[in-house]
Amino acid sequence: MITAIERLKIRLAVSVELSGKPAKVSEVIRGFQATEADGVWHLYRGMKQIDDPRERAIIFGHCLEEESHADAFVKAYKHYGGRVFTPTHYERKALYAGDEPIWKTFAFVHVGEVDATQRFRILSQELPPGALKDCLSNVVSDEEGHVDLTYEMLKRLGATDSAIRSEVRWVRVRRLWERWLRTGKRLIDNLANISLSIVYYVFGALLFGAARRRLARGFVTYDNNKMKHL
Amino acid sequence: MKVLGVSYGYHDASACLVVDGRVIAAAAEERFTRQKHDSNFPTYAVEYCLKEAGISSGDLDQAIFNEDPHAKFSRVLCSSMAAFPDSRREFVESMKAWLGRKLWAVNTISARLDLAPEKITYLGHHYSHAVQAFMGSGFEESAILIVDAVGDWACSALYTGKWQDGKPKVDRLLEVSFPNSLGLVYSAVTAYLGFSPNDSECSTMALAAFGTPRFADKMRQIIKETDGGLYEVDQAYFNFTKFFRGPVTDRFLEEFGPARSYKDNLPFDCFGTPEGVVSKDAQRLADVAASTQLVLEERVLGLCRKLHGMAPSANLCFAGGVSLNCVSNYRVLTDSPFESVYIPPDPGDGGTSVGTALYYDAAEAGGTPGRAPYSPYQGVELDELDAVKLVDFIKPEHFVPYLKQGVELPKGSKWRFKTYKDRDELYAAVADRLMAGQIVGCMQGRGELGPRALGNRSILIRPDDTKLATRLSKHVKERASLRPYAFSVAEKDALTTLAIEPDHVRMNRWMQFAVPTVESARPKLLGALHIDGTSRPQVVYEKDNPAYHALLTAFGERFGIAALLNTSFNPSGYPMVTTPVEAMVMFARTDMDALLLNTTVIWKDVEHS
Repeated sequence: MITAIERLKIRLAVSVELSGKPAKVSEVIRGFQATEADGVWHLYRGMKQIDDPRERAIIFGHCLEEESHADAFVKAYKHYGGRVFTPTHYERKALYAGDEPIWKTFAFVHVGEVDATQRFRILSQELPPGALKDCLSNVVSDEEGHVDLTYEMLKRLGATDSAIRSEVRWVRVRRLWERWLRTGKRLIDNLANISLSIVYYVFGALLFGAARRRLARGFVTYDNNKMKHL
Repeated sequence: MKVLGVSYGYHDASACLVVDGRVIAAAAEERFTRQKHDSNFPTYAVEYCLKEAGISSGDLDQAIFNEDPHAKFSRVLCSSMAAFPDSRREFVESMKAWLGRKLWAVNTISARLDLAPEKITYLGHHYSHAVQAFMGSGFEESAILIVDAVGDWACSALYTGKWQDGKPKVDRLLEVSFPNSLGLVYSAVTAYLGFSPNDSECSTMALAAFGTPRFADKMRQIIKETDGGLYEVDQAYFNFTKFFRGPVTDRFLEEFGPARSYKDNLPFDCFGTPEGVVSKDAQRLADVAASTQLVLEERVLGLCRKLHGMAPSANLCFAGGVSLNCVSNYRVLTDSPFESVYIPPDPGDGGTSVGTALYYDAAEAGGTPGRAPYSPYQGVELDELDAVKLVDFIKPEHFVPYLKQGVELPKGSKWRFKTYKDRDELYAAVADRLMAGQIVGCMQGRGELGPRALGNRSILIRPDDTKLATRLSKHVKERASLRPYAFSVAEKDALTTLAIEPDHVRMNRWMQFAVPTVESARPKLLGALHIDGTSRPQVVYEKDNPAYHALLTAFGERFGIAALLNTSFNPSGYPMVTTPVEAMVMFARTDMDALLLNTTVIWKDVEHS
């Protein structure tokens, strides 16, 4: 579920942060591509735990779709990116411990689909005409079908309506918490940028001569070729 | 003794488990996370290795890491300070990464594996490469050459290795220090040519074959030879500290002309039928590639000469990222003073987890050179029988919106599969498909270690059909037409196809040398040759890979030569497939005709009403 604040943030981002800045747009696209690719990875993992080939076939189609979305973002990137596309690498983590029922993973995917669809829709409405707008419009039309499909999948995997509702609530709390953590990380990141910049200008002025002399040596003089322990 | 080798932090994270001197399992993290060159802690690779041996991390006697984080940190700090006052951004970004994560890599390993810190050993980066190169070689004694971008401080290093009192002894002779790096020069030129550095150096190497080295003299001045085979890089031409802002300087651009945008077309085709006219500018870029390639080869040969002077052995072990350059490797094989050259199956950073684990085991528990050689097939093996059941419920017409660009699905298309009990019948059926000009994805047995597909995660076609190879490039692999393919050949046909010395046949097991081909065999190999008639062959011995050898033999009975065009089984931008489902997803979205999954063949069939 996208809040009004989120909606406003997207509008602001489009009009202030992204407007006329292809480098920023390309960074945003890298993020979208990584999200879609991450989704495929979770689907692959979830699929391993499903025995029924019918259900597997449904998820298989889902994998194809998500992977094609990731590819579509790579294509869109070409319109904005100044250098070759390199994917963002996340540390892949399983969403649930191995003993949790598999439908919970799909509940997480379902919430992700709902949020991504809403966010992409707003973004595509706000963006000026261009490759990213086109790409998002296509992705949104695909994802809308998905939302129902993932919900159906939860039921097929044996979850009751009340269990689904409760899990979805829990996933939303978890995603909110993760968003807070990201905000905190950004704040710390900015503080680190400022303090390290100060360190750089203070110590750099004192040390750059020694550093240049060290680089000019040409050969490694100390022997770092032995087994070491902490 | 159970030793786990771990490599991570920069690129190609991997893990390897050695038990009593033998490699039990080894794999790159990318094969589990589907992120090419994944550098994150190899959680899933470690999980796989431990599972393969049926042990937990608590059973490990030792874990060994391929970097000295403190030495590397000092180099990163020094290089960003040296560029003061223009390197604030690089300093801030690198310090955040180092102080937040990388400096504590050994502690991270201890925490992730739940192992006491005294059970973690670490080695300097080039030393890791040196033991990696030596341990798998089987040599009693050898000279060792390591050339890569940069480790901690070293960029190139010379070592000797020998077995003494049942233990390996690897000693440093000399190291060339950062920023004098052949690997970084090659990556910088790769970026200048509009390719992705640290990934697409193979494109620079491929482009070189279309050029003439008219800038070689200039390049020789930039990478000067010094002191009987060593070299020095003129830093006025490169921005190694600010590599990702732009790795070459204005002076480089003045000498060699403007850089290429990755969006610009390079109309070269290794089958000699370029799409469009080759402009002067495109030719200039090919000439820069050719010049860089030539001078790289000369400097690597210089290092070989220097090394041979210091350690006059008949054997050379060669590793580090630059040893993935198969054109340069062939020059080392033919033009250096060494008679035998060993390059590990994964000579880059990913393979150091194997070498370091073998080394620790042998250094502590003893061993012999004959025990250490290992096969490249150390990855995951998965049963397909369960996965293929979904074929009956697949509706290919639903996949149409998700097909790769240019791929068409005939109306009434259906998927079919058949599982074979008889292996001869299986390979005969696949060989018939290959003869009929089909593109066949092949996934059998354990996955390969390293970047080369050696028959277990490969896409195969008949090697004589350039149109089919073009279809493979466009609608399956999505790769540039300037990049050539390689081929696998059964041992019995190696000398009738490859113009190499009989002594060199066995060294060509893992696609590490770009070698000339026999002229009379070329019409049968056209799709797998570069414009200059060379290829990067895999000579397949029955003992090394019986299943793939059987398939090659079955195809050879029909085709005349037991050779197949062989390229890695991965979608563009992704690592090689690991599971049958990943293979089936690629099969569904591309123009592949059939899929061999262990003993099952899946194919696309058109139902005629």
